[in-house]
Amino acid sequence: MLIRLAGGEVIDPVNGLAGKRDVWIKGGIIVEKPVSKRADKTYDLSGCFVMAGAIDIHSHIGGGNVNTARLLLPEQHAAHLKRPQHTPLSNAGWSTFRTGCLYAQMGFTTVVEPAMSPSNALHTHMELADIPIIDKATLTILGNDDFLLSMIRDNASSAMIDDYVAWTVSRSRALGVKVINAGASAAFKENIRTFSFDDVVPSYGVSSRRIVEVLQASVGRLGIPHPLHVHANNLGIAGNAATAAETIGASNGRPLHLAHLQFYGYGTEGRRGFSSEAARLAELVNGNPDVTIDVGQVMFGQTVTISADVIRQYSGMRTASPKKSVLFDGDGNGGGIVPYRYRQDYYGSLQWAVGLELFLLIDDPWRVFFTTDHPNGAPFTAYPELFELLMRRDARNAKMAELDQSALELTTLASISREYTLDEVAVMTRGAPAKLLGLDDRGHLGPGAIADIAVYRKGQDIQKMFRDAALVFKNGDLVVRDGVVTHYRWGRALRLNPPSDKGIVKRMQAYHEDRYGLSLDWFTFPDSAISRENPFAEVACRS
Amino acid sequence: MVAWIGSRTVPLPTAIEQAAKLLAKSRCPVFSLDSDIHGCRSLIALAEQVGATYDHVNGRDLVHQVALHTDIGGFFATATEVQRRADVIVVVGDVPAVHHDLLLSLAATTPDLPRSGKRRWFHIRGKATLALSGKLQRRAKAVDAGSSDLPIDAVLGVLRASLAARKASVVLDNIDAFLGTVANADFPVFVFSHFGDAASLTMLQGMLIDINKKRRATALFLPSDDDAWGMVLTSTWMTGFPPRTGFSTGSPVYDPWLCDVDRMIAGEEADLHLWVSERDEVDPPRRSGLPTIVLTRSDRPVAGAAVTVRIGKAGLDHDGVVYSSRIGTLRSAVAKAPSDLPSVYVIVEQLQHALQGEDVASC
Repeated sequence: MLIRLAGGEVIDPVNGLAGKRDVWIKGGIIVEKPVSKRADKTYDLSGCFVMAGAIDIHSHIGGGNVNTARLLLPEQHAAHLKRPQHTPLSNAGWSTFRTGCLYAQMGFTTVVEPAMSPSNALHTHMELADIPIIDKATLTILGNDDFLLSMIRDNASSAMIDDYVAWTVSRSRALGVKVINAGASAAFKENIRTFSFDDVVPSYGVSSRRIVEVLQASVGRLGIPHPLHVHANNLGIAGNAATAAETIGASNGRPLHLAHLQFYGYGTEGRRGFSSEAARLAELVNGNPDVTIDVGQVMFGQTVTISADVIRQYSGMRTASPKKSVLFDGDGNGGGIVPYRYRQDYYGSLQWAVGLELFLLIDDPWRVFFTTDHPNGAPFTAYPELFELLMRRDARNAKMAELDQSALELTTLASISREYTLDEVAVMTRGAPAKLLGLDDRGHLGPGAIADIAVYRKGQDIQKMFRDAALVFKNGDLVVRDGVVTHYRWGRALRLNPPSDKGIVKRMQAYHEDRYGLSLDWFTFPDSAISRENPFAEVACRS
Repeated sequence: MVAWIGSRTVPLPTAIEQAAKLLAKSRCPVFSLDSDIHGCRSLIALAEQVGATYDHVNGRDLVHQVALHTDIGGFFATATEVQRRADVIVVVGDVPAVHHDLLLSLAATTPDLPRSGKRRWFHIRGKATLALSGKLQRRAKAVDAGSSDLPIDAVLGVLRASLAARKASVVLDNIDAFLGTVANADFPVFVFSHFGDAASLTMLQGMLIDINKKRRATALFLPSDDDAWGMVLTSTWMTGFPPRTGFSTGSPVYDPWLCDVDRMIAGEEADLHLWVSERDEVDPPRRSGLPTIVLTRSDRPVAGAAVTVRIGKAGLDHDGVVYSSRIGTLRSAVAKAPSDLPSVYVIVEQLQHALQGEDVASC
């Protein structure tokens, strides 16, 4: 079927397209305007913006830790409802089903789960397979696992490291590699309570810095499009901007992605010894073109923090709200689930401001990514509110007037006049994520792209515009109309399949039999285990 | 021969059609489930379609295990990590026989992380706690700690007080050995399964919170039934809630009392029971007057059931996905003896298809 989206204002910075023009879809793909052919179906998009479907590069939407959070907090669901809560009878906020629907309603069509434990890959992909409409992807976690740490300790060759990384990415069906507080979870099992970038995992004798460097280099050699995704040390601690600065400095001119930088934007100034260092970090990011970051914006209200940074989550347990939490010593990283309420007090106000400072002081929208680190900074359903804060200075000022002024005085936020344009929003949420993840087939509206398209009705109310997309197409199927899901379909999980030496399979087989007394079959699975048609779509590594 | 209406053998499509009619007509259907992950996925989707309330077949055993996670949380570990790292294993109370092979494998190994070492075992016992099985005890050489006069929650309370150097008026067997060993352990792990009371779970996790203030310790939770725990996980990701959950309002509602299937049947709230089990030799409880649809391994119709459909078992007749305590997550289960018996997933798919032509009643 030939579909014509007629008369909308196209915002497609990747292809340099702007202004009123038609978009044509055939067979789920965006095509050139056909010569002498009439559309089978035409949508009049007068008064609307047309963008590619949005891509979220860092949102905890599935897997063992996310499910444990659901289990721990049946009362959490209200926080994941749309804001304002105009559906009081709905109490299912963050099931896999609602996750797909809520993302699609906002015009998001691809979402990355950024923290999949390799040993938990089947569970994670089973959950992702039950998220309707959108495409998904995962980043597999390495850097606290015995096999890798032992290889680094024993000065294994680059080829051996690469084989292991490639095998892990491939067998866990991941789109990239993430390292979470490198070495700290292993150290915590040996009762180490703080762990910085140059600290050493006791029984392996390798530092966090070394682990990051080894993985960063391996990801590069393997041609994995997404740079190593780094959750740095000392998350949430006053003065940790120095850690972020060290980590940025260690990128050594090679691509590196720093996750949720807001949680590292803290200095030690002020009466409470907790201040903003966002301006300094933004300057560092601006000066290091190989570094990308996502923000992890904090928004106010109840949420739950979900992280494989076990050492951090343990220290956060004392501020759990409500007073219950889970700490999980798993293979490699494990995880911690700590519910938390961000209040408009000194600390909450400062964290909120730090995130916005990073968004607004990092110049290049191709290198700063739109996230709340769902649900750690806020549920993703807060995105429309965040879009407004970025695009309207008056909205920021109005919110700032409600907050703790002593905290805001230690930030530069009041002095920033920048407002994101729609073009910049399209870069940050479409073009840039696609480029960062190596997804050439999306993030833009050029011929050949898959027809993942979000249409928004123009209006003064930015929150409403982004909360309820006028139309959303996924692979050319109309799935949302006026913010309501009209058609359900199953997306795929995007994955890499980097080649590795066949010998690694034998080594892993021997390792699992020797250490666990179990064959490798216990830890691997065929695609058919997902029980959906074509559950995966392969993305090419760079040669 | 895989389907019956009453005691009459019928082709499978006929049984599916009859079951779909019953489901469509029902105003308050209840489901009791026991299947692999795919079976549970399909059954929960069916429950949503027909507005049913669901629980595990052995839901009563799950209540406290689910409540541990919804109400308390705590410290947990995988069995694989325990195998490699635990220098002390403390078995708390009774552990179901189904997990004894796992305990034996732990007893047959020693920790290699962070370095090779020995592993010591304790068994915390209360007045109703059984001794470890002979084979396990011979391997583990567990030292009993506890009291034959006190319930297990009281024993745990005394141990917690003692670990915190508080005085307790009761003296437990081998308490000094226990306290000394745990105080010097690098990574002690408390192994527990389903307690019948919330107090024991709270006290155990409280003890772990205390220990972790200065040293590391964690717990290995072994659910009473791996398949049941798989169903808990599936329900949680699909609906946001563990069982007991229902779709009587259209949206999932989690309420352990309201959605207690046994209570709903006893109180005559339910007007149809769909009972599913992949286990051999297990039949649904017979309840007169309540139409029942049964998916079972049995090769004969279930007495009193309106419809019986014979199904295969995941990992035996067909491939499946199951929860495994051995690795603490889901694993792919390849068919050991592939057969033509249909999976729960296949039967439910056919039911859903048949229901598309029916006008489903709402509660």
